[in-house]
Amino acid sequence: MAESPRSGPRSRQLLLRIRRGLFASPLDTVITVVLAVLCGGGLWSFLHWVFLQADWAVVVENIRLYIHGRLPVDQVWRSWSWLGLLGTLCLVTLMPAGMLPRPVLRLLPLLWILILPIGLLLLASGLGLEPVKSRFWGGLQLSLLLTLGTILMALPLGILLALARRSSLPLLRWLTTGYIEITRGMPLIAVLFFGQLMIPLFLPEGWTLNRVLRAVLSLGFFVAAYMAEDVRGGLQAIPRTQLEAARSLGLSPLQTIILVELPQALRTALPSLANQCVASLQSTSLLAYLGLIELLGISRSILGNPDYLGRHLEVYIWLALLYWLVCILMTSLARRVERSLNVTGHH
Amino acid sequence: MSLEPLAPGRLSGRRKRLLLILLQVAIGLLVLGVIALLLTNLQVNLLRRGLGLSFDWLGEPARFPLSRGLLPYRTEDSYAWAFVVGLVNSLQVVVVGLVLATILGVVGGAANFSSNWLLRQLASLYVAVARNVPPLLHLLFWYFVVFLGLPAARSGVGAVAGLLRLPVSVEFVALLIGLTVYTGAYISEVVRGGINSVPRGQWEAARSLGFGEGRTLRLIILPQALRAILPGLNSQYINLAKNSTLAIAVGYSDLFSIVNTTFNQTGRSIEAFALLVLVFVAVDLLISGVMNILNRLVLRHG
Repeated sequence: MAESPRSGPRSRQLLLRIRRGLFASPLDTVITVVLAVLCGGGLWSFLHWVFLQADWAVVVENIRLYIHGRLPVDQVWRSWSWLGLLGTLCLVTLMPAGMLPRPVLRLLPLLWILILPIGLLLLASGLGLEPVKSRFWGGLQLSLLLTLGTILMALPLGILLALARRSSLPLLRWLTTGYIEITRGMPLIAVLFFGQLMIPLFLPEGWTLNRVLRAVLSLGFFVAAYMAEDVRGGLQAIPRTQLEAARSLGLSPLQTIILVELPQALRTALPSLANQCVASLQSTSLLAYLGLIELLGISRSILGNPDYLGRHLEVYIWLALLYWLVCILMTSLARRVERSLNVTGHH
Repeated sequence: MSLEPLAPGRLSGRRKRLLLILLQVAIGLLVLGVIALLLTNLQVNLLRRGLGLSFDWLGEPARFPLSRGLLPYRTEDSYAWAFVVGLVNSLQVVVVGLVLATILGVVGGAANFSSNWLLRQLASLYVAVARNVPPLLHLLFWYFVVFLGLPAARSGVGAVAGLLRLPVSVEFVALLIGLTVYTGAYISEVVRGGINSVPRGQWEAARSLGFGEGRTLRLIILPQALRAILPGLNSQYINLAKNSTLAIAVGYSDLFSIVNTTFNQTGRSIEAFALLVLVFVAVDLLISGVMNILNRLVLRHG
């Protein structure tokens, strides 16, 4: 009895699949061979470089700078404890919901909001510690602080902007539409430049804001415009029947927004909001050109050290790895939230 | 869609309208009040620094050097001319970048549908790596590692520039490649989504008519996918135009880097920034306008 290819022995199936996937036609074979040679060669020379030619001293010797910036050595424990708290919070959030007791689960959003002021208190002055000037804040820690601050400011502002853009008051609609469209048309580095140099010009005499706060303010206003559009998309996706149902239940407009519209809109908008959060992290790297020594800024000053002349590739690969890891972490946190929202949504 | 207030009607229609008008007047006054406060602060601060708002300085000589570009520029030229030179430099990198990123994005997006396993994996690896690295890092990599680190790459650029008789600088090429690779990854996701939106039956029909893979894609799938691709392309093009301001990291004299230098020399941040906003609103409108016309053509003929 002849065997058909599908029911053949495993090895033969695999062989067939490889043939179909890689060598289906002469052209395909040529493409596969060329790509394989290129990939193999590239991978080989990359590994050769990584293990034999690269000088990782520029990364290893400065690891403290990359993580904490120029924080005085005896104060580094403050940065570590904040990063530890943040890491624990990430782990707890990523744990399967079934493993956590309900009260912890309910407290999680609050903890995520609180982690920012805790970080600021630990770093700045609070808790009876010796204050560290904001120009000593730096490295990965500052990047994370900036990202968190931006998200915590942009999300509520973005929600308000989205609601205002759909308001029945024409004036409010025009103002927010104008704000959102103009902001979305501006290059971010110009907005940050504006924030660093011009916010002081608009403050009353005698008021000052440090660089980090100015950066968070300008990033927050910028990202909020993008988040507003994502939330608006979510609001538009709500079926009209939901609003009619809310009205027939006698809910007031405010109750309808808070109890019916926002929960559904945010759930729909969550993937794109998560993308904005990842983009915010990447955007903080621009602040390296505006006098902040966050992850990229501190790397620039390390590369300026004559001891590490020409060690750009090592540093950039290390940075790419760090940014990539944090991006992956943020994406998986967002997936986790998405899943838990979907679960509660079905009940 | 505007939302009617959904509360059970306690107010009569006329009262409600009056209330809404009053509410808007209040919002208007509030916004005006905040703007007035900010402007007063601004005026006080500018007076304290001995600067009033004016655009007279645009005619003064700029005195700073620029990297070589398409337009002639000498340091005795005015600030206004420096802005024009910067604008042309920006537009140059944006236009060439749009074309290259589109080509890379279409190839990358289509590669996801190849029957070749290796090609598919490479396409998704490219997107995963390029999108998760900040655009700034892309530029720094191409500039410092490739073009400043490898003499061969630098002399290659010089040779091409000589051949084309164009003032192509290493900075320009680094910026161009960085923007192309970064935006190309996003465009290839847009293209992949567009191709996905074409019903699978179209592929099968083309195959049963004896079309090869490449021809199916070019003649049957892509034209239909274009409808879904164009809106996504529009926002990626605007992103590319905005990201071109990262030129400041590699020392290419684009519009923003000139605004930045102007501020450092004159302290005229408000005026320089206002010019930048105007230019970018115009560039965004231009890109959206062209894309809208394309979109209408596609919808009519597609």
